[in-house]
Amino acid sequence: MKAIMAESRITSSANVPTATRLQVKQTAKPSGVRRNFWLRLQGKEGALFLLGIVLLWQFVSTSIHFAGSYLFPSPVVTLKALWVSLPELLKGTWSSLIVLVPGYMLAVVTGIVWGLLVGTIPWVSRMFSPFARFASPVPPTIYIPYAIALLPTFRTAAGFVVFVGAFWPVFLNTAAGAVSLPQRYRDNARILGLKRTEYLWRIVFPASLPHIFSGMSVGLVFSFIMLTVAELFGASAGLGRFVQLYADYADYPRMVAGILYTGAVVLVTMELLEQIKRRALFWVK
Amino acid sequence: MNALDTRSTNSVPGSGLKVESLRFAYNGTPVLLDINLAIAEGEFVCLLGPSGCGKTTLLRLLAGLETLSSGNLSWKGQTITGPSLERGVVFQDYSLFPWMSLANNITLALAKSHPETDKKWRLNLAEEFLEMVGLATAARKHPFELSGGMQQRVAIARTLALGSPVLLMDEPFGALDPVNRARLQDLVLDVWSNASPRKTVVFVTHDIEESLYLADRVVMLGSSPGRIIQELRVPFARPRLRRTLTSLPEFQALQEQIAERFRQDTLQRIEAESFVNGDAEGI
Repeated sequence: MKAIMAESRITSSANVPTATRLQVKQTAKPSGVRRNFWLRLQGKEGALFLLGIVLLWQFVSTSIHFAGSYLFPSPVVTLKALWVSLPELLKGTWSSLIVLVPGYMLAVVTGIVWGLLVGTIPWVSRMFSPFARFASPVPPTIYIPYAIALLPTFRTAAGFVVFVGAFWPVFLNTAAGAVSLPQRYRDNARILGLKRTEYLWRIVFPASLPHIFSGMSVGLVFSFIMLTVAELFGASAGLGRFVQLYADYADYPRMVAGILYTGAVVLVTMELLEQIKRRALFWVK
Repeated sequence: MNALDTRSTNSVPGSGLKVESLRFAYNGTPVLLDINLAIAEGEFVCLLGPSGCGKTTLLRLLAGLETLSSGNLSWKGQTITGPSLERGVVFQDYSLFPWMSLANNITLALAKSHPETDKKWRLNLAEEFLEMVGLATAARKHPFELSGGMQQRVAIARTLALGSPVLLMDEPFGALDPVNRARLQDLVLDVWSNASPRKTVVFVTHDIEESLYLADRVVMLGSSPGRIIQELRVPFARPRLRRTLTSLPEFQALQEQIAERFRQDTLQRIEAESFVNGDAEGI
C-alpha cells in the first residue's frame, strides 16, 4: 500500500510541467527573483543585442555633433531613406540577381561535376590538382578590372567573376567530399556492380552532399562579394551600384539604407539555401 | 587421434569455392599465410578466429574486394579477379545507403540482378524481399529510422535480391544485442535452408557458440600471421534447436575444445616470439 502511494506521488509530481517545477525551485532560493528574471531572458539574447546596437546607434547619431556627423544618419532617418528608396532598391535587387543567379548556378553545376570527377578518378586529379593549387587561392576580386575590360558587356563580366568566386569553394568542397567517401560505400557499390556514372550520381554525389552544401554556402557569400564589388566598378544598376551612387552624391542615409538592405538580401538568400540543405540532408544525423 | 582434426577433402574439380596456397601481405607484412580451403556448393562454413587474425581479409579476398599476393582463388573453377554478382556480401556495419529508402536500396540490387525489368516491377519485388525479412511495411522508410538489427535485415534482403549463389557475411551480427542476434541467426538459417539450390555461405565470426549453431564446418584461424589452425565438421543434425543444442554436453565439450585450441595457439605464438627475442639478445 505504501509503495502504491509513493508511486502515485511520483507520477503526480511527474505530471507537473517541467517549466513550473523549475520556477518553483528557483523562487525557493533567496536570489530567486533575480534568477527568474535572467531565466525569462533566455533565448532572447540575440534580439536584445540587436536592440542594444540600434539604441546605441540612435544615441550616438543624435547626441554627438562632430565635424562629419552628417556621415552618421540616425536609425529613423535611415529607415525613412530605406522606405523612400525601396522601389529603386527592388529594381537594383532584380538587376543584381539576374547576374548573380546564373553565374552562381553555373559555378555550382560545374563545381560539383568537376569536383566529383577529380575526387574519384586518379588521373583527372593528377591532371587538374597542380592547376587548382595555383589558381584557387587567387583572390577572385583581382580579376574584376580585367574581366570588365575583356568581356563585351558588364553583365557578362560580372557574371564571370561571380562564377569564378563561387566555383572554387564548390569545387574544392565537392572534391574533398568525394575523396573522403567512406570505404563501406565504395565496397557496397563494387559489390552491387554499379557502373561509373551510376556510382558517381547515386553514391558519390549524395554521400558528398554535406561537403557540397558547405561549399555552396561559402560560394554564395563569395558571389555576393564579387557582384557588389564588380558593381562598384562599373554597373548601371544593382545593389553595389546603388551604394556607390549615393556615396558619390554624399546621400549617406540612402547609402546606409542600401548597405542594410543588401545585408537583408544576403540573409534571405542564405536562409533559402539553408532550407534546401535541410531538406536534402534529411538523412544526416 | 584428435577428434577435431577432420580436414575436409571435398575436391571435386571446378565446383565450389576454392582457396589454394593463398598468401596476402599488406605493406610487406604478411596478413594471411598459405591458406588452403575448399568449400562445397551449398555448404555453410564459419571462419572463426580472434580479432586481427585476418578472417575479414580472407572474406574480402573471396568477395574480390582485395587482390591476393600469391596463390589462387576460384568459384566453380573460375578465378576470382574482382567483385561479382555471384558473391553477395553482408558487412558488419549496416551498409545501406542512408539517403535511399529501403525499397530503393533493394531496387539498386534488383536493377543489376534483373536488368531487363521496369522500375515498378522491381519496386514490387523489393517489397517482397522486405516482407521476407519481416519489414513489409517499412519500404518507404530510410535506414536512419531503423534499429541496427532491422538495418541488418535489409542488408540481408538486399544481398538476397542480388540473387548471388554465394553469401559472404563479415561478422554481420557483431554489433547487435543478443536477442536480435539470435533472431537474425535464425533468419539466415531459414534463408539458407529454404533456397533451392542452397546458397553457399561463408560466415565470419569470433563467437564460438554462433559458429557451432550455424555452420556445417568451422574453420579456425590463428593470428600473426593469419593461417588455418584447424577445421572441424559440426556434428549436430539440422534443424538445430538453440535451447536444446546449447545445453548438450557434446556442444559444451566442443566449445571448450575450440577455446582450448585457440589458447594453445596463442601460447605457442608467445613462446615463439620470446624465443626469437631471447636469441637476438644473445647475439
